[in-house]
Amino acid sequence: MKSRITNNHQRSTSPPKWADRFLMWYCRADLLEEIQGDAYELYTRQVKESKFKADLQFIWNVLRFFRIRNIAKIKITPPGIMLKSYLLIGLRNALRNGATSFINTFGLAIGIAGAITIFIFTDQFLHTDDFQLKRDRIYQVTNVVNRDNNKVTLGDVPMALGEALQNNVPGIEKIVRMELGDGAVRVGNTVFSEQLYFVDSSFFSVFNFPFVEGDVSALDSKKSIVITQKMATKYFGNKTCLGETLSIKFSANRVEEFTVTAVINQPASNTIYFNFLLPIDVYFDLRKEQVNDWRYLTDGLFVLMQPNHKGEEMESTLERLVTLQHASSPEWLTEKFKVYSYQSLSNQAHEIESGLAGPGNPQGVYVLCVIAFVLLMLACFNYMNISVATVSTRLKEIGIRKVIGSSRQEIMKQFVIESFVLCSFSLLAGLIMAYFFFMPWLNALMDYEIPFAFSSAQSLVYFFASLLLLIVIVSGVYPAAYISNFKPVSILKGKEKFGQRSMFSRVLLTVQFVLSFMTIVGCFVFIDNSFYLSKKDWGYNHDQNIVVPLASSTQYLPLRDLVSTQKNIIGYAGSKDHIAWWNPRSSVEQAGQRYEIVSYKVGFDYLETMNVRLKEGRLFDKEIQSDAIESVVVNEKFVSTMGWNKPIGQIFEYDSIKRVVIGVVQNFHYDDFYRDILPVMFSVTNEESYNYMSIKIEEGNTLATEAWLREAWKKVAPDDPYEGALQDKAFSNWVRNNGQEIRLLSFIAAMSILLSCLGLFGLVSYNITRRLKEFSVRKIFGANTLQVFRLMSLDYVWILSIAFIIGAPTGFFLMDALVHHIYKDPQTAGPAPFIIAILLMIVTVVFTIGSQMKRVAEENPAKTLRSE
Amino acid sequence: MKGNYLGELEELVLLTVGVLYPEAYGVGVMDELENQTGRSLNISAVHAVLTRLEEKGYVKSKMGDPSQERGGRRKRIFLLTAAGKRALEEANEVRNQLFSQIPKIALQFSY
Repeated sequence: MKSRITNNHQRSTSPPKWADRFLMWYCRADLLEEIQGDAYELYTRQVKESKFKADLQFIWNVLRFFRIRNIAKIKITPPGIMLKSYLLIGLRNALRNGATSFINTFGLAIGIAGAITIFIFTDQFLHTDDFQLKRDRIYQVTNVVNRDNNKVTLGDVPMALGEALQNNVPGIEKIVRMELGDGAVRVGNTVFSEQLYFVDSSFFSVFNFPFVEGDVSALDSKKSIVITQKMATKYFGNKTCLGETLSIKFSANRVEEFTVTAVINQPASNTIYFNFLLPIDVYFDLRKEQVNDWRYLTDGLFVLMQPNHKGEEMESTLERLVTLQHASSPEWLTEKFKVYSYQSLSNQAHEIESGLAGPGNPQGVYVLCVIAFVLLMLACFNYMNISVATVSTRLKEIGIRKVIGSSRQEIMKQFVIESFVLCSFSLLAGLIMAYFFFMPWLNALMDYEIPFAFSSAQSLVYFFASLLLLIVIVSGVYPAAYISNFKPVSILKGKEKFGQRSMFSRVLLTVQFVLSFMTIVGCFVFIDNSFYLSKKDWGYNHDQNIVVPLASSTQYLPLRDLVSTQKNIIGYAGSKDHIAWWNPRSSVEQAGQRYEIVSYKVGFDYLETMNVRLKEGRLFDKEIQSDAIESVVVNEKFVSTMGWNKPIGQIFEYDSIKRVVIGVVQNFHYDDFYRDILPVMFSVTNEESYNYMSIKIEEGNTLATEAWLREAWKKVAPDDPYEGALQDKAFSNWVRNNGQEIRLLSFIAAMSILLSCLGLFGLVSYNITRRLKEFSVRKIFGANTLQVFRLMSLDYVWILSIAFIIGAPTGFFLMDALVHHIYKDPQTAGPAPFIIAILLMIVTVVFTIGSQMKRVAEENPAKTLRSE
Repeated sequence: MKGNYLGELEELVLLTVGVLYPEAYGVGVMDELENQTGRSLNISAVHAVLTRLEEKGYVKSKMGDPSQERGGRRKRIFLLTAAGKRALEEANEVRNQLFSQIPKIALQFSY
């Protein structure tokens, strides 16, 4: 009783606890009593005056006592000794469960390899054009216009804008205008039609492209041309080509000779894709009237600011220049000129329509990142599951360690170190896998040439450090914290049992399978849609058609004369525009509303040749005179947009001419599937404007006829390259992308299945080993393999079902939303992805559990039970 | 050599330990020093000096009785050793010897 009272009394006037604790922590045990005693004595004396002062004094004394002489020798367990023990025991355990450890490490390595690969991929994407040393000073000026009440940012700006800027903004160092053109490039007998870039001679003082031959003065002369290494090989073979000449035939049959003054290399991260650079003066000579015209739009304008000057300095001048533009071209009003910094182009370039630099929309890359992260998490959960299960056989070890004197921290340390070592090993394995398999695969799949490199050493270090930390924390720390908490007595008495039977483990496994079902179902939704689109009807028959672009309309008649003699050719027609090759946008005004349309000008027989399907009315007829002037054929979308009930005979105005609708054709895809089908209108034009000849071939003779056409072309136009192509190839880019997406997502789905099955396999084999005795006893009592199998798999069936119910719809809806976001007219996803996912899972689960059950079935129960 | 040298503070503390016999301990020495010489020391400094003296063999220590005001902790009681006594005597002798050699006249006048 008495002691309690004194205790209470003491508590009320005791010095600050933390200081006292600090003293006890650092002080040598043999000195503690007198030191603490003295400190308390002084405190007790002081506290009668003022508690605050006494507290302060106590703290001060404690701090003053903090001297080398008084500090306890920190008892450092030599790290080597325990570390060696941890590693040795860890290694023995890993070796004892060889298969499980292998699966564990291998699974994690796969996840890591995937993450590394996607990271490199993303890193490249977000750091395009890094080799441009002046990129922090380069800006692109763009043109914001109002198109059908939508604000559109164009890369095209008035030709005159560049000079006006340079004259008015003092901070500008250089400007580069870029104008795109075409021409037939010839060296000896090699002729190809090529895209040409006409640029200011300042090009090389703004952009840093590595020179193979030549130097920055390469574009100074009007007779010079700069080509890429690829083109040098294409035209001149492997020899050096500085000083070689090549001739270019521009439109209007103008042929000029140019001397190669430089050959340059395009680094992998480059996004300005050009093959031929010519001085822009060449272009001005070709089209004299457009040199300084506010109405003429050039394809790109880049500005190099002087050091310490910002692109924003241009803004006030640009605002003034907008009025100049308005005065000269009132029908195409610029809303404003917007400045993009070159650095920001890597994630903003997609905002600019027909911009010349920067990569595409980063959305796809972000989706990939999310997927890679999910895969990594999947691998981590895998690892966690298996570690937790594996540890259940090590409970005795933990118990013994604790009895001998290990603290909880030390047990945790042991397991974290172990998992750190394993994770580092997985990281190494993942790196090797990424380098030798994943990167080459991805490059082959996607037609990329991305090197195994990081944009900077910093990003490399950060990435790997954070990756390792993340993996160790997710996969190592939790199991360690969990295990180390057991009481040694109950472990050694055999009371603590966990692993397969614990709630924690089940939740983990469920989460893991939710993730994998999400990925699998999501991937299949996307793949299913891609297959659907690749088989989708284009709205016209295209497999028997060839289109031959003409270099000039005068070639049409001679070619027609040849074509009409070929009996394999069952139809032909000329046209100014061509479905899927050249879809001119235009607009129609109806009842005060403007509608964006696609307007094709075609010859008679064009629609028949292209197999466009007539729905109502008739197609163009040579015999009817008005057809050449005012008749139009429209598509269904046109009719629905205009809101016509009876489209035939409807009259509207287009190009200041009254138009009469004579026929309606089925909607067809003239553009890839990313875009909506617009209203389409066909009208008749004459032979002088023909740019294309469309040819319909008898079935089965496509190849032979194409070869014949190539020969015929040489007779008609020996100076121009043959550029004919099958209509089938219209969306070859899209088809290639589509194929890439299918392969990539199949790959991801396969990885996800592999990872989950590895995890399941490891877990099941582990649990079977644990329960081998139980099964042996069951077998002795007469249970057959099937019954044991059911017993074993029942748990997993439940977990998988729950995971499926949660994961599959989530993946389905997420991916369906994404697909609808990307494509305008996707398939309504059906049950196929679910069925495929569940079938795949059932097959793999049955296979993994089944292969393990074989062990149980073949095991002699006597043998298992004998040893104890 | 260093081991035998008695610093000024050490000498004071050693003297105080002698004065307080047989109850010299940290806080006691500190209080006595303050009372007698007006020097206010921190307890940790007193401890440091006492430990040093013990290492030099001038004092020895034993644990005393627990007391209420110390939260039930015991004091460490310091006692002069023979070496300690000799050191004090030597120091005193040196002092007296030196003092006696000062000419009378030097003590009578001050400049």
